[in-house]
Amino acid sequence: MVALARKTLVYEWRRFLPAMLAVGFAGLLQLLQLALVLGIFGSTSVYITGSSADVWIGYPGTQNVGSGRTIDPDVESRILMDPAVQRVEPYIWVDGDWRGPHETGGISVFVSGIDPGPGGLMFSKALLPSLRARLAEPDAVIVDRSVLDQLGVDIGETATINGHQVTVVGISSGLRALGGVNVLTSLSTARQLDGDPSDTGPTYLVAKLRDPKQADAVAARLRGDTAFGPYTTWSARDFARISVRYWMFDTGAGAGVLFLAGIVFLVGAVITSQTLIAAVNGSMREYATLNALGVGVAALRRVVLEQAFWVGALGLLGAGVLGIVLMLLAHSQDVPVVLNLPAALACVALVMGLATVSGLAAMRSLRRADPATLLR
Amino acid sequence: MTHPAAASQAATPPALQAIGISKAFLSGKLHTQVLENFSLRIEAGELTLISGPSGCGKSTLLAILSGLQKVDSGRVLALGSELGQLDLSALEHFRLQHTGFVFQGFNLFPALSAFEQVELPLNHMGLSRDEARARARRSLEEVGMAPRMKLRPSELSGGEKQRVAIARALAKEPELLFADEPTSALDSVNGQMIIDILHRIAHMHGTTVLCVSHDPRVVVHADRVLAMEDGRILSDRRTHVPTNDSKGT
Repeated sequence: MVALARKTLVYEWRRFLPAMLAVGFAGLLQLLQLALVLGIFGSTSVYITGSSADVWIGYPGTQNVGSGRTIDPDVESRILMDPAVQRVEPYIWVDGDWRGPHETGGISVFVSGIDPGPGGLMFSKALLPSLRARLAEPDAVIVDRSVLDQLGVDIGETATINGHQVTVVGISSGLRALGGVNVLTSLSTARQLDGDPSDTGPTYLVAKLRDPKQADAVAARLRGDTAFGPYTTWSARDFARISVRYWMFDTGAGAGVLFLAGIVFLVGAVITSQTLIAAVNGSMREYATLNALGVGVAALRRVVLEQAFWVGALGLLGAGVLGIVLMLLAHSQDVPVVLNLPAALACVALVMGLATVSGLAAMRSLRRADPATLLR
Repeated sequence: MTHPAAASQAATPPALQAIGISKAFLSGKLHTQVLENFSLRIEAGELTLISGPSGCGKSTLLAILSGLQKVDSGRVLALGSELGQLDLSALEHFRLQHTGFVFQGFNLFPALSAFEQVELPLNHMGLSRDEARARARRSLEEVGMAPRMKLRPSELSGGEKQRVAIARALAKEPELLFADEPTSALDSVNGQMIIDILHRIAHMHGTTVLCVSHDPRVVVHADRVLAMEDGRILSDRRTHVPTNDSKGT
């Protein structure tokens, strides 16, 4: 079989280049946007994904980690009664007002009060044991490397949160927050920072199970008991998803992503289809001749679709290579970018969908390849 | 319409036959009747030339007889099939199996070598790869293009391109070969060569060659010349004895 589509693509590559660039840049734009959004909004669940708890217990209706309310401290004993539970610890969230030693103004901080002990669940994946142990000192806090300038402090310096003096004893990395700054401290320090006297219990209880695979089942089992006041439970994965979804959709960011995806698709498809149509028009007489010789319109359409496929595949290849380079660059600059398999597949689907739509549009112009027009 | 010359061949069925066909075109509000109640027989194994001024309807006639265009009324028989009865895909299949075309423009794909130009339509005929390649080689040899079959159209002269186009049509081993002004874009030497090839195809392969041209050189080589004007045949004459002569064999 003579590979007409491929040979034409190679021989007339200049003609197809705009389409490949359009497809490639559409793919790249979408890829980076998605990676950035996943990176930024992924950070809203870092409290969950950076910890080793399997089940989270919090106030019913909580929509994301940052908007929890205190629950009754006695819930802890209820949770511990479940045989599947290995360990339970409280997690206290306090919204604070940071005043640094230098001229930084007031900064809104999210204080996370955690158990600094060696077996602590909270931020166990984000903090080295030696670093978290430093939180055992009174009024000690850990802040993230990325916000040192913003907070105007360095290690060993003091500042105040809600009027209470704290000392920076360590610096973490990868604990960026959205709409504020994360500050880690011990449970006892966090209680002192909380200005609301009615907050008696923890914001959350986090539990480790003997078998992490049972998280969903245990979370369901612990739910619905109201003897200790209102609380509900989530598996860690569910709660992380709820948190990210809240930020994605309730903040309009998700709609923005979808909107841009639509624009990217549209612009890419317009450029690509126009290029392919021009390529088809350029070979119109040759296609018409083939049709006169009896080569069916269906076979000619396949040639056009195959060209669209190769344009998409080559554009995708370029976007992939460039995308990896840019992602590595972003990582080295502490820009939060995350790309998972579903997101990458979504980009591939978008690009190949774009190429297919363009190919279908170009296929329509084949209707003009009427061999009778060659006889005039 | 009957002709004294054709009457002697009435016993053998014609390769092509138009019976009372009419064709009109509508461009804007202008209604142009190109053919009206037109009848014609084209005998098998001959090089038949239709000549006439532009706009006389000869290209329309070619398009109709080759199944590229439908008639408004009347019947067209090609190799015994009534083309009006065939739907689009059946017509495509008919053309694939039985017809070859040579156009004024050579219409070769810029990206393909001469050999691939010829092989491409054969791929769609259901031939094996080897058979398709053997046929393509044979047919390029026949038009004297074997030494240059690896070259792309940009590396070929006009005459060579037209020979490749003829080889592309010929490789299908069609019973019917249609040529539309095949020499008009060529100089005299190349034009002459193309005419010789078409003539040889008719006589060696028994192919029915129907050629539309106003090139006077073709007239000399045609077995039969139909002069057309305003949708009518003005004259119908034979330049050779109306049998498959032995000249080319």
